[in-house]
Amino acid sequence: MTAHNSSDKLSLKAYLVFIFFAVIILLIEGSFFSFLFSRGTIPDLLLIFVVCLAFLWGEKKGIVLGLIGGFLQDLFFGPAIGFFTLAKMAAACFSGFSSREIYKDQVIGPMLTVFLSTFVHEFVVFSLVGIFWGNRFSFFFALDQIFLPKALYHLVLTILIYPLLYQAEQRRFFSPVSYK
Amino acid sequence: MVNPSIWKKIVTVLGVILLLLLLIYFTEGNYLRVTIVDDLLLTYLTPVQGFISRLGLGTVGFFQELFAFHHSQQENRVLKEELASRENLRGLVLELQKENYRLRKMLDFREHSAYELLPSEVIARDPSNWFETITINKGSQHGVKKNMAVVTPEGLVGNILNVSPSSSQVLLLTDSRRAVSAIVMRSREPGDIGIVEGSSGENVYLKFSNLPPEANIQPGDIVISSGLGGIFPKGLVIGTVQETGLDQYGLLQQALVLPSVNFNRLEEVFIVLEFPFKEVEGEEEGEE
Repeated sequence: MTAHNSSDKLSLKAYLVFIFFAVIILLIEGSFFSFLFSRGTIPDLLLIFVVCLAFLWGEKKGIVLGLIGGFLQDLFFGPAIGFFTLAKMAAACFSGFSSREIYKDQVIGPMLTVFLSTFVHEFVVFSLVGIFWGNRFSFFFALDQIFLPKALYHLVLTILIYPLLYQAEQRRFFSPVSYK
Repeated sequence: MVNPSIWKKIVTVLGVILLLLLLIYFTEGNYLRVTIVDDLLLTYLTPVQGFISRLGLGTVGFFQELFAFHHSQQENRVLKEELASRENLRGLVLELQKENYRLRKMLDFREHSAYELLPSEVIARDPSNWFETITINKGSQHGVKKNMAVVTPEGLVGNILNVSPSSSQVLLLTDSRRAVSAIVMRSREPGDIGIVEGSSGENVYLKFSNLPPEANIQPGDIVISSGLGGIFPKGLVIGTVQETGLDQYGLLQQALVLPSVNFNRLEEVFIVLEFPFKEVEGEEEGEE
């Protein structure tokens, strides 16, 4: 695979950097966060990472990042291969599409996108759990106890994470790709 | 007329969704892992995961100590100033005492247990809020096999769901995919066998259901594994009955059970490698 300068494809470096950070995030989420947030909602840093990058890079690349990130999560914790892959792809796709009409240099746009993408992600997870194993939560309970707290967590964390990713992007940290 | 490229995109998206759904369907039961990637990730990252989880536990302990220290400092200001400097040491000693007590209890449990036990450390937990699984630092190279029971001195934790060479995934009792055949310890009536599973909505409690309406059960009773199915040894403590009542149809009895194990603070567990029990063939996945 070679590095590309087109706006539709990511370079190998971008993939490798993304995979490296995704693995680190999953390790932190599964080990550090799960002990730190032993009761209650655990924020999904990987989702924020994927959604923010999809916001910066658009839906096509976002879907690929969602696929890779979700697949890694499935390998670490997923009940089956494809489970979080589908959920993260959907959230990244939503983020990529929504970024078309929003300024990328201000944090409020990505904050709202991450907030709404969390609902998309959790809704897909809720539906898949229901299809394959049967839900132990009612939809409204999940909305109140999982979707909303997680989305609010993510909203706040995006304030910290998005500017870092935006700056990294401005300095071509991930790959030498051009954007509109 | 709709642009053909849009149709192409729609078909591609639907194709990917269908492919992923099929993948989920075919990998969810036996979990056909992508061996090379999976082994590589889980085998080589287990020590890293162990390190990060110890870091996580250390941080939690640090903040707990920090709050305790802050509280005692306020007290000490009123009482004696010099005690404030010793508070840290006291906290450390207390922490060591607690750890000593816990390890002694585990050692005692292991030595007096009728089963062959393998101690293991919890290195990760599923962070998604949807599933109740933990990852432990023992795998197939230590003799761990799928479906082996996992316990603590307090009681039953769950069973092994997936095994890789150096780590394993444990399906906790609180996960909705897990159901255990159980009886009430006090009565031990053979007819009063029910199923213990994760309670909907309340992570803290378990649901003891499918009990006959005349079952002899009351709040305070201890629920134990019945041993049926062959995965879990008979007599492992599951929890204490909090309240009883009839199910939604009014035909069967059910109870809310407070697990004896604190699933939020699992640090060390034991894998039951062997127990004196005849295995039953052909049992269903996820249910005893």
